[in-house]
Amino acid sequence: MTAASLLEATSRPLLATLTFAQDVDAPGLWQRLWMGKNAGSALGDDTDAMYIWLWWFCVFWFVFLMALMVYFVAKYRRRPGVAAIVSPAHNTPLEIAWTVIPTLFLVYIFFRGFQGYMDKLVSPGDAVEMRLTAYKWNWELEYPNGGNSPATAVIGARSVPVFYLPAGVNIRLRMNSRDVMHAFWVPAFRIKQDIVPNRYTALWFNANDPSGDKTHPLDANAATARRLLDASAPDFIEEFKGVPYEDHWVFCAEYCGDEHSEMAAILRIVPEDAFNRWLPTTAEDPNASPADVGRAVYTVKGCASCHSLDGSPNTGPTWKDVYGHEVELADGSRVPGDANYIRESILIPGAKIVKGYGNNMPPFVLSERQIDGVIAYMRTMSVHAGGNAAPPATAPTDPAAPPGTPAPAPN
Amino acid sequence: MSTHDVPHDSHDPRGLHDAHGHHASYLAPKETFWATVKDWATTVDHKKIGVMYLFAILFMFFLGGAAAMAVRLELWEPVRVVTSTTPSGTTTTEVTGQLFAADAEGTSIGPGNNVYNRIFTLHGAIMVFMVIIPSIPASLGNFFLPIMLGAKDVAFPRLNLLSWYVYLFGSIFAVTSIILGGVDTGWTFYTPYSTTTDAQHWRVVFMILGAFILGFSSILTGLNFVVTVHKLRAPGMGWFDMPLFVWAIYSAAVIQVLATPVIGITLMLLVFERVFRIGIFDPALGGDPVLYQHFFWFYSHPVVYVMILPGMGIINETIAVHSRKKIFGYRAIAFASLGIAAVSFLVWGHHMFTSMSELASTVFSALTFLVAIPTAVKVFNWIATLYKGSIAMNTPMLYTLIFLFLFSIGGLTGLPLGTLSTDLHLHDSYFVVAHFHYVMMGGTMMGLMAGIHHWWPKMFGKMYAEKPAMIAALIVFVGFNITFFSQFFLGTQGMPRRYASYVDEFQFLHQVSTVGSWLLLLGFLLHAGVFIHSLTQGRPAPQNPWGGLTFEWEAASPPIEHNFEHEPICRHGPYDFESTVPPGWKPEDYPLPPATAPVPQGVVVARH
Repeated sequence: MTAASLLEATSRPLLATLTFAQDVDAPGLWQRLWMGKNAGSALGDDTDAMYIWLWWFCVFWFVFLMALMVYFVAKYRRRPGVAAIVSPAHNTPLEIAWTVIPTLFLVYIFFRGFQGYMDKLVSPGDAVEMRLTAYKWNWELEYPNGGNSPATAVIGARSVPVFYLPAGVNIRLRMNSRDVMHAFWVPAFRIKQDIVPNRYTALWFNANDPSGDKTHPLDANAATARRLLDASAPDFIEEFKGVPYEDHWVFCAEYCGDEHSEMAAILRIVPEDAFNRWLPTTAEDPNASPADVGRAVYTVKGCASCHSLDGSPNTGPTWKDVYGHEVELADGSRVPGDANYIRESILIPGAKIVKGYGNNMPPFVLSERQIDGVIAYMRTMSVHAGGNAAPPATAPTDPAAPPGTPAPAPN
Repeated sequence: MSTHDVPHDSHDPRGLHDAHGHHASYLAPKETFWATVKDWATTVDHKKIGVMYLFAILFMFFLGGAAAMAVRLELWEPVRVVTSTTPSGTTTTEVTGQLFAADAEGTSIGPGNNVYNRIFTLHGAIMVFMVIIPSIPASLGNFFLPIMLGAKDVAFPRLNLLSWYVYLFGSIFAVTSIILGGVDTGWTFYTPYSTTTDAQHWRVVFMILGAFILGFSSILTGLNFVVTVHKLRAPGMGWFDMPLFVWAIYSAAVIQVLATPVIGITLMLLVFERVFRIGIFDPALGGDPVLYQHFFWFYSHPVVYVMILPGMGIINETIAVHSRKKIFGYRAIAFASLGIAAVSFLVWGHHMFTSMSELASTVFSALTFLVAIPTAVKVFNWIATLYKGSIAMNTPMLYTLIFLFLFSIGGLTGLPLGTLSTDLHLHDSYFVVAHFHYVMMGGTMMGLMAGIHHWWPKMFGKMYAEKPAMIAALIVFVGFNITFFSQFFLGTQGMPRRYASYVDEFQFLHQVSTVGSWLLLLGFLLHAGVFIHSLTQGRPAPQNPWGGLTFEWEAASPPIEHNFEHEPICRHGPYDFESTVPPGWKPEDYPLPPATAPVPQGVVVARH
């Protein structure tokens, strides 16, 4: 038996013992107390076993030391007129013992930690590699076929991407950042790795099958869960109808600015066969209309996290009624919201900042087809959709209309 | 001693002698109010400098604490954007749960988060640079290191005054940058965020320069202490006759002198990167952001031992004096202090396990466990000191026990962080936040509180009200645990740090933590009240209220300007409680163990 397999063979039963679990796959009391639930991967559960071992190690020594302390304080409390009992102020065998024994424990802890670390960092040779890009303040995951997941969910204050991934497959993420330091943390897998702008970093995981045949959305994602089962919902995916799935959070774990706390994603683990049926549909469709291409770009490239489609303001200006309208900039000037404006806003967003917004958008690298798509998509949600004609100098508005109502089209 | 008693004669132009011909207390005011102000502003007396530092540090502690209260208040509930549609079809969105004003025009949560980010940066920067690093060395260290060695002052008194003014100047720089808007980089200023954020350079540059200037204050203090310990010990005092507080301050001073220049250079490089775009850290210019982290932590890890070693030093004193027991394992503690200082330079990478190579991470993890061993040995030595002692229960002793409790938790929770496999989960989570608050606040600050209460009668010549102080200590203890123990669970369950908002599942634990912070505030406010009451109405303190044996207890309470009437000679060990009647005590009032006949004060029976 190799050391690694011995470790693995003992981890699960050890976890079960230490966590008082009836069933190894169900989280024990202490795992539930500390982690919330059991891990989403086998290596994650191994990390929990290590953590809970350390927990008990610390509890044992802490209780022992504090009990001694309290006992001595009580037993040897000062009595007026009574001196302290004479006792030696050092004891060489004792001092050697309490130096050597902790050292041995620490050496053991180091090696166990090292082994778990190497297991989690060194990806298996057969791992499927996917590309992950981080930027302020969103994630982009590219599947091996170049496609992306189109799904998003609204959590708390923002829209976050939902990345569908297959269970039971070794997946390796090759990651890099477009701007500042970020970090990819999946608490459920107990793994984290920093994402650096000037090179790739990587991590890998193998997600457990979604537990049982029930779906497990994150609590905050219940609304999305209901929508998934609703065939009329815009992000309903036929291939995943009725399949069990389990959601895991992804959090950015390296401070990166204003919306660091909103830079989340959801890993949605689905059965491998369903995933493989769906994956080809994510590839770029050469026959898609420009507006459809734009709609896909809107979600997969992360525009959704900062730009709304319904007129409501967010981190960035809404896309509704931009094309063909005049745009007021922060410096007071007005520019036409035409195709050039949209193109520049994608490639060099800092060139023109809309009034009321900050300079927060990083430049995006989109293909010409994708830029065409965004322009076409924005035209579908603007009243001035016809051609590339300049808009009237002032769009007549009705002051009595509720905010958000589009201005009446000029005739 | 009022100034009216001071004879004006050519033999005593500075009024150092009162009418009885004794030296005046260092706190005695001068002839006029402005003469007193000038005296304190130009003093080279280590005691006055120590007192000024003490009050400045306590003031900054309350400032940084106010920022912490704001942080915990913001985290009471998560930020939510509530979208509702009116019957007429208009959609309105509203941001809830944000304490700080969001932007007036829209529903973007960024601006409100930005305010939070600046407040947590403020909290970290103030607490690290203006409170904890100077906390014990600059205040109690300045006051008591020379006295414990039997000296009149530190080796370079004018340099000491300079270090105080540099501290003031640096603090003003930093506070100015805060008042003018502050920065949102975190106190660690990680690149490239810190070199590219905020269009106006001057705010970030001001804060960085503030930290840079404060570094010089630290270096000057450390340099002074190292030379003082080497050169100004009293006759008869060898290295192993020094109180362990001195060993601790000395070890911390060595780190201060060797490590602080590194952060100075690093901060300078950061400023150059921002202003002149030299391209050392920003990859857009060909630099490496992880290089910054190495430079930063090369100082910032040793500095946490500058923070904790003096706290441990105080515990040596309080536990020995209030148990009337010789410290167990004196040499082990002395060498452990030096050993910790040395090994502290080898472990900085454990702050970067998720951004280094596997080999580097492995080496740093192994070395990190190495530094845990002398630390654990010290805790065992202290508990062994309690064995067969004669233990008084008062505020210094209570804070000593609180230190042992909280620092043990802090140290033990360092184990899952130093362990590579668990750190991949816990890094940059609330677990780390809880860990460092347990060691820095539960360790250093509780040590500072123990030291302040232990030496208050000596420094100010007044006693404080014991019962209210002990109640305040208990409130601080309970409040601290509620605030920070809950954060361990937040961390393991997946809550990242430096988050202005969070997903719903973390709300309960955040609310528990916030309630704890209110208790902490109450406890410290009570302490402030006890201090003010003591200064204004406290009863006069005797020379040696606790029965200590180190030199400060041979000085008056408060000490005279030059500390001692006559240069003291070291005739007994610092912890020889079983054989020495403490200075200022009559033998009939002080019980010695039965095996020894009562001896007159100061006569040696046996040396350790």
